[in-house]
Amino acid sequence: MPGPAIHVDNLSLQLGAHHILSGMQFSIAAGALHCFVGPNGGGKTTTARCLLGQMPHKGNIRFEWNDGVKGTIGYVPQLIEMERTLPLTIDNFMTVISQDKPAFMSPKKTVKAAIDRALERVGLTAKRGLMLGSLSGGERQRLLFAQALIPNPDLLVLDEPMTSLDEGGARLFEQLILELNSEGTTVLWINHDLAQVARLAHTITVIDKVVLAHGSTATTLTGDMQRGVFHAQTNRSAA
Amino acid sequence: MTAFYTWLRETLMALSDSGALPSIFYYEFVVNALLCSIVIGPLLGCVGTMIVAKRMAFFSQAIGNAALTGVAIGVLIGESYTAPYVSMFSFCLLFGIVLNYTKPRTRMSADTLIGVFLSISLAVGASLVLYVSARVNTHILESVMFGSILTVSDLDMNVLLVVTIITLVVGLPLYNKMLLGSLNPSLAQVRGVNVQAIEYVFIVLVTLITVACVKIIGAVLVEALLLIPAAAARNLCRTLRSFVYTTMVLATLSCIGGIWIPMQWDIPVPSGGAIVILAAFFFILTTIIRNVVPGFREAKL
Repeated sequence: MPGPAIHVDNLSLQLGAHHILSGMQFSIAAGALHCFVGPNGGGKTTTARCLLGQMPHKGNIRFEWNDGVKGTIGYVPQLIEMERTLPLTIDNFMTVISQDKPAFMSPKKTVKAAIDRALERVGLTAKRGLMLGSLSGGERQRLLFAQALIPNPDLLVLDEPMTSLDEGGARLFEQLILELNSEGTTVLWINHDLAQVARLAHTITVIDKVVLAHGSTATTLTGDMQRGVFHAQTNRSAA
Repeated sequence: MTAFYTWLRETLMALSDSGALPSIFYYEFVVNALLCSIVIGPLLGCVGTMIVAKRMAFFSQAIGNAALTGVAIGVLIGESYTAPYVSMFSFCLLFGIVLNYTKPRTRMSADTLIGVFLSISLAVGASLVLYVSARVNTHILESVMFGSILTVSDLDMNVLLVVTIITLVVGLPLYNKMLLGSLNPSLAQVRGVNVQAIEYVFIVLVTLITVACVKIIGAVLVEALLLIPAAAARNLCRTLRSFVYTTMVLATLSCIGGIWIPMQWDIPVPSGGAIVILAAFFFILTTIIRNVVPGFREAKL
């Protein structure tokens, strides 16, 4: 089943006195592999969180689901600090997100099979007994990806999922994302690696408080634009 | 229910008469208190793991203190001073909901805000209770703050039972959602969890439980039994399952022991105090085990 198309119309966000985003206008096609690029602090994560309904934004965001039925959204948040003090293993965490039955009781067979499959896909099977507090950055990112696979997502929102991954992990994630996308999942991917974006993305939106550019990767991610994005980045870090 | 309680008490009395059980089972209030403790232990143990996960220990302390005000109001409006449940439930619920409502609406960290509420509830509660206890019965203050098993009635047991059933029916199906909401609210929201609504549900449950346990453990110490067994279990457990079950066992043992030990050896301490001291003993024990047994070794910093 193909994922949703997303239409964003005149999206703006003001928090306190700060204009975070303004006048954003773009569409993402159903089943696209779409990347958000742009400088740090330009509002990529914030835009994604607006789409997920977590921000008090103005403007219109419309999801065009297949058959009009709201599907599943998988979300891989930016690498977060996980609870360090709770005795919660990878397995426990996966059970928490997979079922309503309390996670301290044993999971149903079907649930367990889904967890097994998801952990296997991200290469965490051997580490499933480890506590969340003891995981490395890359392991945490793998776990965050694994949870987004249950249930199988129609829309997958990824927020820089690869920052702490080793080479093998990065290849694995790339493969997984392409696999899901080829099955019809709409992928919305916040990505800093412009070479990877150029190689994989169908369409991109360049965001720096406004939409700087939007369109197919080939026409949008030109040398000028890349220099522009990096230029903005350098200016910011200098300031 | 009363018929069941009577039957149980009579059976235990008969057993105690015949020498099969220790002589303390001959007393009605002991049986009542022990019945309560086998309900309270697992209940507080299970909820305690969530309190620890959500870092809300001081929230429940504030609710416990608010119960003092509830008792005082109850006495002032003419409720029975041994069971002013209407006032306690209404005031504590109001207090908990206002606190939770205020939390996202100030630019303070949670501990600052809870600290403010905690102090208010203790100051108002203690002042009011002292004021009314001078008029009615000076023992109110002691028993409300630290628990008293002498006055546990069938009504108290029914209240506790109803609260336990509500917690099981409402709380268990929401356990995972509550946990995810505290681990990562943003992720929880995407996964269809109404984080704020669930927070209110949890607040209401904690409030109900706190009020229902005030009789046995006392307003000041309810929070301790929510917190200490979970902290003790945390020392030794590495999975959620062992954490929850160990906490339940430790909380239950603390309750039963805290009631039984002072009775058996005639030690004049309030039940709440004894229960919490026993729980603290378990905490110290598990802390020592954690530091001595090589299997628990971990990074110092």
